[in-house]
Amino acid sequence: MDSAIIRELRKIVGKDAALDRPEELMLYEYDGGQDKSRPGAVVFPETTEHVSSIMRLAQSTKTPVVPRGAGTGLSGGAIASKQAIMLAMARMNKILEIDVENQRAVVQPGVVNLEVSNATAKYGYYYAPDPSSQKACTIGGNVAENSGGPHTLAMGVTVNHITGIEAVLPDGRIVQFGGKAQDSCGLDLTGFFVGSEGTMGIATAITVKLTRLPESVATLLAIYNSIEDAANTVVAITQSGVTPAALEMLDGWMVRCVEENVHAGYPMDAAAVLLIELEGLKESVEEQAEAVSRVCTEQKAREVRRARDEQQRQLLWLGRKTAFGAVGRVAPAYYTQDGVIPRTKVPATLQEIERISKKYGLVIANVFHAGDGNLHPLILFDSRNPKEIEDSHKAGNEIMACCLRFGGSITGEHGVGSEKRQFMTAMFTEDDLEVMVRLRNAFNPESILNPQKMIPDLRYCREITGPLPKPKVEPVSGVPV
Amino acid sequence: MSTATAQSVERELASIVGEQNVGGQAGQLRINGVSPAAVVSPGSADEVAAILQLANSRGLVVAPAGGFTQQDIGAVPQRIDILLSTARMNTIAQYDPGDLTIGINAGMPFAQALEKLAEHQQWLPLDAANLDKATVGGLLATAAAGPLKHAFGGLRDFCIGIHFVTADGKVAKGGGRVVKNVAGYDLMKLMIGSYGSLAVITGANFKVFPRPRQTRTFVSVFASREEALKFRGQILRSPLQPLCLEIISPGALEYLCDPMPPRDADHYAPPQPVAAPSREWQIVLRAAGSDNVLARYRRELGAAVTREHDGESEKQFWRWVSHFESNVLTRHRNAMVMYTRLALKDVGPAIQALERAAAEHNFIPAVLGRAATGSLVLAFIPLVVDPPAATQFSNCMTAFRALLPPGSSAEVAHCPKEAKAYLDTWGPTPTDLALMKAVKQAIDPNNILNRGRFIV
Repeated sequence: MDSAIIRELRKIVGKDAALDRPEELMLYEYDGGQDKSRPGAVVFPETTEHVSSIMRLAQSTKTPVVPRGAGTGLSGGAIASKQAIMLAMARMNKILEIDVENQRAVVQPGVVNLEVSNATAKYGYYYAPDPSSQKACTIGGNVAENSGGPHTLAMGVTVNHITGIEAVLPDGRIVQFGGKAQDSCGLDLTGFFVGSEGTMGIATAITVKLTRLPESVATLLAIYNSIEDAANTVVAITQSGVTPAALEMLDGWMVRCVEENVHAGYPMDAAAVLLIELEGLKESVEEQAEAVSRVCTEQKAREVRRARDEQQRQLLWLGRKTAFGAVGRVAPAYYTQDGVIPRTKVPATLQEIERISKKYGLVIANVFHAGDGNLHPLILFDSRNPKEIEDSHKAGNEIMACCLRFGGSITGEHGVGSEKRQFMTAMFTEDDLEVMVRLRNAFNPESILNPQKMIPDLRYCREITGPLPKPKVEPVSGVPV
Repeated sequence: MSTATAQSVERELASIVGEQNVGGQAGQLRINGVSPAAVVSPGSADEVAAILQLANSRGLVVAPAGGFTQQDIGAVPQRIDILLSTARMNTIAQYDPGDLTIGINAGMPFAQALEKLAEHQQWLPLDAANLDKATVGGLLATAAAGPLKHAFGGLRDFCIGIHFVTADGKVAKGGGRVVKNVAGYDLMKLMIGSYGSLAVITGANFKVFPRPRQTRTFVSVFASREEALKFRGQILRSPLQPLCLEIISPGALEYLCDPMPPRDADHYAPPQPVAAPSREWQIVLRAAGSDNVLARYRRELGAAVTREHDGESEKQFWRWVSHFESNVLTRHRNAMVMYTRLALKDVGPAIQALERAAAEHNFIPAVLGRAATGSLVLAFIPLVVDPPAATQFSNCMTAFRALLPPGSSAEVAHCPKEAKAYLDTWGPTPTDLALMKAVKQAIDPNNILNRGRFIV
């Protein structure tokens, strides 16, 4: 990176808040996904004005800027090229206001998701969206990705919990969308901005809804001898008229892996388990728990257990939320998918995944938000074996193609980022994508902000003949791209 | 447009959709008094695209239309060259009861979709007014909502995919058919509430919900606004999870009834002279659940509850609440109706602002709405005395907006069209206006869609 730009950056944020030495930049060359690339510089703004000055500098020098929260993203959204400035939001980590009366909190983008709930629990409130990485991921990153989580089944995803955003545009202008009211007059730019993966602007202050903590919670663990029965239960619960707060599935391989890691009491011999949570008024939770247990038993659950106390409940959830980490203990490398399918297609899709697993001789573990039909198959492979690397991607593509065949989506909550950019053409026509580009250009006309993310290169689009083009970037090889 | 040009446009439209789908009731349809030069009913998104390409290349102004229930919202259009009716795109595209998703084409009246969903004990929790006429497309375009917004949010919270045609005739979509999906920009959010100013919505997909098996409505009565709002606070701090939570002002009670023909359409003229107007404020809560759950609600709400509704009387009550606005407007064609979007804490101050502004400008205030989402419907009803002058509306509206707490917005949903020239229908909003205009420019560069009617 041009040393003049670094000097200017240091003038804006101070000497210690801009990094450009290779050993410092190494820490910022990856996120939770597969792609790697070392940025040209990393800068840590502390205020909205810092962000605005940095963007003006970037605009005048035509330097790309890539925002980054905690780097837990799974689609390469925070990967920056060596020409780019990485805008790391770690120092904008203050909760600016907790407004209990209006059931809102105003936070800086670098505030960790779980901290909002921790800070508001004493008033009887929490922040509902709960990505599995919630102990680390930031609200700014959640806004960029429109993050989900297990409890979004009943509560909705990030966009349903954001009412206002202050953002800095690529030209440095500071703008406001919405506020503390649930909505405001005019176009819903708040909703439109959420999930834009850092391609429209940098959120610098975010107004989130606070949700009343439920009076009562019941957590059930339904244990199955067959994964098909578990899948059928998901369909049956969806149709039963009960909407659980969360409905998660782990297959047998995953259950054993998780149990060895956290000792939560998951049965080691199960073919699959469902983790089901019901929330609300005491009376209604009891009734729903009974109804759900009945459905599970009807669908041949071997056993339905209920968490006795908060500690046991937390342990079951710890197992679920650390599932990816648990896999990391036993497998050298894995590749996660984030496809979505209509919920009645859960059984058929699991069969298809099993077929694909056999075809390539790769273990595919399943842990997913069954209630939403949002799959997370983990394809395990040995990163020293080039054939396995290649096969893991072929398997991943086949699973994605299957999701699309069933009328689903390529991503439910991880985002498109750089990872799934090429697959956008399998869901959207060139006209769809052109409309998206025109709208992005209203915010970010020169694509200085997070370039080469989400939207595929349109010229490239036209050359595609098959439904699923091969990814341009080969992940996990360890070679910076 | 001259008559000759209009005729040639009609001929070209006919070549797209067939002669039988051009013209029709053109003579009767008016938007704020402006009648469209041509009316066309396309039967598919491709036909919509062809019509918009034609309009865009000629710079013809297009107004998309559904059930014609809310067309008078917004500023008076300078002209309408083509009224594009979605009436023929009125089918269910796909319905998968097992997946709890439905895809509906824009021209279908919402009540018809609800009927279909009811066959499977499902619903879309939207209870705006006039659902037998209002279409899916129109409801999306106006971000319509009713009392159920309290528990379920607005259409933005359950619309999972949208199909539209841009002003220059590109058939496009956003989202998909699954309940969780972050592929691409959230074009649903952008289109919902865009009042037909960005694109013509041709269809949408929704996640649907199991219909509650049993609901009950609890009415609590208070002597003052302060007491009513205090009770609202208690409910919000309780573990209760109501479906609806409404506040109803004393002035609004008169309009909670089946539609009544106007006695004097120009003035406030109650059926019986009102000697002592009601001073009763109501907080109305609707809950769903088993007998056991409803008993818990009764216990928690305590002695404040004076009436309960269930079955038919409950249905009727909520229909009246949804139709408050149209009931006011049927009785007083000169009434002004505003919608507010407020933070929770600002509901009280906004109602106070209404009372003050109305009193100072010779209107009778009436208000009801979502006590905890800040979406209120405010009616300013002209008094029997002097006929209201056009400027009386704008002065009152200006006074009202000035009294609102910062961060609030309040738009004029209805007022006599003669008064519209004197007032800013949409008013200030916390959201950046320049950027809204840039978004409009990006997909309707020639400003052919609803020109001059919406905020952009």
